[in-house]
Amino acid sequence: MVPATPYALGVVRFFVHGIFLFDSVADSYSALATLPPTILRPTGIMKFLPWSFFDALQTQGGMLTLKTLMVVSLLLSTAGFLTVISTKTSLLLVLFYQGLLRSFGHFNHDEMIAVYFLVVLAFTPCGDAFSIDKRLGRTKQQRPAFAYAYPILLMQLLLAWVYFSSALIKLRVAGWKYLSPDNLPALAIFHSLDNLHDTAFRAAFWLPQVREYLPYFVGFILIWELLFPLAVFFRRLRWLILWIGVVFHIATVPLMNIGFPHQLLMYCVFVDWDRRRFLTRSKQVLPCFVDQHRCDPTTVAKS
Amino acid sequence: MSIISKLTNSWAHADDATKRLVIKYAILTAALFLPLFWAFLAVRNLYPVTAWNVMMAGGDLERGRSYCILRGETISGETIDVAAIQLTNALYSRNWTMVNATIDNQAFKLKSLHPQNEAMLRQFGSIENLPPGARIPDLLQAWGEIYNKREPESSPMRLKAIRLDMYRWESGRYADYDKFIESWRKEL
Repeated sequence: MVPATPYALGVVRFFVHGIFLFDSVADSYSALATLPPTILRPTGIMKFLPWSFFDALQTQGGMLTLKTLMVVSLLLSTAGFLTVISTKTSLLLVLFYQGLLRSFGHFNHDEMIAVYFLVVLAFTPCGDAFSIDKRLGRTKQQRPAFAYAYPILLMQLLLAWVYFSSALIKLRVAGWKYLSPDNLPALAIFHSLDNLHDTAFRAAFWLPQVREYLPYFVGFILIWELLFPLAVFFRRLRWLILWIGVVFHIATVPLMNIGFPHQLLMYCVFVDWDRRRFLTRSKQVLPCFVDQHRCDPTTVAKS
Repeated sequence: MSIISKLTNSWAHADDATKRLVIKYAILTAALFLPLFWAFLAVRNLYPVTAWNVMMAGGDLERGRSYCILRGETISGETIDVAAIQLTNALYSRNWTMVNATIDNQAFKLKSLHPQNEAMLRQFGSIENLPPGARIPDLLQAWGEIYNKREPESSPMRLKAIRLDMYRWESGRYADYDKFIESWRKEL
């Protein structure tokens, strides 16, 4: 059920670290440095850091140092070089950076599952394949399949927990009121009024026209979230559940101006990378076989 | 019983390296899931421990809501909408809550205050005396600087002032979304 090779775990490492690498390159740290530290509200573990540290960080020099450290560390961990160390330094740096962003704004959940995946990858042999370490022969070869299968299973369970617990919390906090016809349109319109969100779609204003159907839609999504753990255990259901997730997360962008791209990309832990690798290799072998079959005079003579 | 005996048998036959790996993975699993269960039960986020309470309360049509539009006044005299994500893209999805928290003076409600906020609070006497959005001018100054830095010196699109206009959707019905409340303006 779960891929159990160093290759599969290596590909997941490449994806998860690669996404944060992409963010680090694309984010304007110099703009972030311009924001005044006086509007910061350190959250969770960030409260342990002194204000003098944030004052030093919220400068062009401070942010340039942070960006350089992050890009170098994530580049190494994505490529799988010095993986045992680089996955841990990347985890610490991303944890700090995401905490900083949440200290300016709110506890956005999008990247959190990817941060949890970084924790898993930091303490598992994710550099044993699909890595520079492997090319250089620095990896330990003898490990049981369990060493690679369990981390992938753990990441799948974490992703399932995200949806399952989210549905339970909604039911606990809002109860049946969550299925009110005004729940979705009121929320969606609120998120479409300002110009401080990432996008400025106006589809939300169309929702009141179909408000009587929306409880069914919201109920369907709640059930989908509750059933998400089945994706871990049933291969046939998996793709249906994941495709609903893809459509749902894409739909929230035009409807609510809220996206969960990082969480969506974490679906990569459900891809059977071993099988994909096998299929890719088969496709490479097949044309050679066909060509040989066509061109080999003995085969032609026999036929 | 057979599963337990199988597990016991496997454990007995496993080598030391495998046993160490199993223990390590068990600790990793517990270290991840125990805080998550706590956050779930308490419905509380304590970074990095996460409760997935996204949109848990849902929307309530009866509740009024305030929101802000960021605008710039250009040198050529135009008033333009400025998208916050284009200024501080790193904050992605968090710009609007940063503004709300700053308007609500939440940085002055912390246990440990920034020294400059502490000084400002002393100057005003108490948090009740602080005007709403006491630090909004600083935020607007920063956004204005970021915007102008990206425009050529000669560009008529450079900003001479930047402002945050606050509106309220009184709610109760799907109309009247833009009742003007107040504005913060910063000359650049």
